[in-house]
Amino acid sequence: MAELDEQRNRLTVKLVYYGPALSGKTTNLTRLHDLLAPGLKGEMMTLETEGDRTLFFDLLPLGFTAPSGLRVKFKLFTVPGQVIHDGTRKAVLSRADGVIFVADSQRNQVMNNGVSFDNLMRNTATVGLDSTLPLVVQFNKRDLSDILSEAEIMERWAGAAWPLTFACALEGSGVIETFAAALRGVYDCLDDKFSLQERHGLSRESFAAGAGA
Amino acid sequence: MKAPAPHFDREVALGELLRSVPGEKLGAALTKVLGGCWHMVEGDGTPVLGPGAGLAPRTAADPVAVPLHVDMEIVGTLVASGAPRELVEGTAAWLELMLASVRRYRMAADLHLEVVNMDYEILQREHAALQKSEERYRELAAQLERRVATQVEAIELAQRQLYQAEKMASVGSLAAGMAHEINNPIGFIGSNLTTAIDYVDSMRLALLAFHGGDRDGAQALWRKVKLDLVLEDFPVLLSESAAGAQRIARIVAKLKDYASIDSGAMAEVDLSDAVRTVASILGDQIPQGVELAMDLQSLPKILCDRGRLNQVITSLLQNSLHAVIKGGVIRLTTRVTGGEIRIAVSDNGCGIAPEVLSRIFDPFFTTRDVGKGTGLGLTVSRDIVAAHGGRIEVESAVGNGSTFTVCLPLADGVRLGTTA
Repeated sequence: MAELDEQRNRLTVKLVYYGPALSGKTTNLTRLHDLLAPGLKGEMMTLETEGDRTLFFDLLPLGFTAPSGLRVKFKLFTVPGQVIHDGTRKAVLSRADGVIFVADSQRNQVMNNGVSFDNLMRNTATVGLDSTLPLVVQFNKRDLSDILSEAEIMERWAGAAWPLTFACALEGSGVIETFAAALRGVYDCLDDKFSLQERHGLSRESFAAGAGA
Repeated sequence: MKAPAPHFDREVALGELLRSVPGEKLGAALTKVLGGCWHMVEGDGTPVLGPGAGLAPRTAADPVAVPLHVDMEIVGTLVASGAPRELVEGTAAWLELMLASVRRYRMAADLHLEVVNMDYEILQREHAALQKSEERYRELAAQLERRVATQVEAIELAQRQLYQAEKMASVGSLAAGMAHEINNPIGFIGSNLTTAIDYVDSMRLALLAFHGGDRDGAQALWRKVKLDLVLEDFPVLLSESAAGAQRIARIVAKLKDYASIDSGAMAEVDLSDAVRTVASILGDQIPQGVELAMDLQSLPKILCDRGRLNQVITSLLQNSLHAVIKGGVIRLTTRVTGGEIRIAVSDNGCGIAPEVLSRIFDPFFTTRDVGKGTGLGLTVSRDIVAAHGGRIEVESAVGNGSTFTVCLPLADGVRLGTTA
């Protein structure tokens, strides 16, 4: 849950990139680190990998200062996608303010996406998060050949309440759009709770712009 | 229960980060570079390390203060006096690199701890739930056992009562027949004795007159009471009564034979004898037009409860009597075939319809009118025979009669031809 540190005038927002193994969560973060130009940008922290597979998490800190002087800090995490690291996934997911689910667009990954999404829903409840947690679903790897078409995806996810985005994280396309979609959802929740517009002169657009998106 | 592990992604103060670094060595290294006048403070000014730490803030003339960043946050300040600014800034940069590395390590370690604690908690919860369900299961199992025991007891009691009722019913019907048999001789014996008393009275008067010397009076009395006839009839009356008494004695003896052994004791018995006993008792009740034919072989003796088997044979014979009520033949046969004793009761009566045949051994199933049969005769018979390791076979055709065969295994060592 986002914390507003009154003393230090700082709001910390936690976003988690979730999804099946090798769907491109870390790549999303790497590209954001390269492409974004926020007010403040920390170093990307990658904790131990094993053959390019995340073992613990990746962390990209970002931030900006609102007109009121409030410092807004984003912590972007990735979870390990492999099934065996479920405990780590739960710990990283704890206290999240928003989730970006990175799905693999390839046809042969439909099952893995489904399993991981179920896992997200189950873990969201386990770690005590609200079912109204802001969520964006990104279909990654649009550059590959045997993938579900956008029309197919739109049709399959027609009943879903979450924004859908399409990306090719490796090339960098769609990565910022996904992040921006997540920020919009998170902003609405935070505005309800902390009156960002009223007290800090922070609009939806300036919130996303501050983060560089 | 332990306190929950701290969140791995919390903000960590400078002092906490430096706890993972040997302070003395770090202090010595910094003193070598910056001289003896430096210290590090937390974001809020609390001293953390350095020759000046813990003392009042220095009032040096040229202190250089450089903020220390970790994760975009200022976690503290390096303050030094008497060292060139570039040197202090360069040292701060080195410190930041070290702190970032320490922070990485701490996050991984804390995350690991958080995961382990979370797993442990889940395990404990599951364990508690399992224990609870096991306890509940045990309780249910115990409850179930108690209930089964109570039910079994109730069923056994009901069964004993029903079997007793069936026994009483068959004894009752037997008794009614016997009463009739005994009543007949008692009737004519009684009437004969009344006549005999009159005869003796007449003879007494005649004899007294004769004894008193009144020869004429005696002659007159002789004629009057027809003493010639009396003397002729009297012995006939007596011998007739004696025969009746013998008949009663025979009936009682048969009854004793049937009933006195009914004590539940096992004895070695030739079951042909049992068949004879039952036939002789029931034989008196056979209506006119029914013929009872017997073809009984001498059987090897087997250890059995004779009273119970009498009940079985009685039950089968009574059923046959019902089947041939309008006339017919009942045939009792005993044989030894294929290592077993076979007692067959067959009749050429009405027979049993197929839909009835499948139910004749069911408890309380009866085709007789209410109050005429308990519906337990064959049920009890089957159970008695089963208790002896045997079975009852049935063949029947509507209009052609039925054959019930009691099959009992020969005891070990008893073989055909070794008949006692």
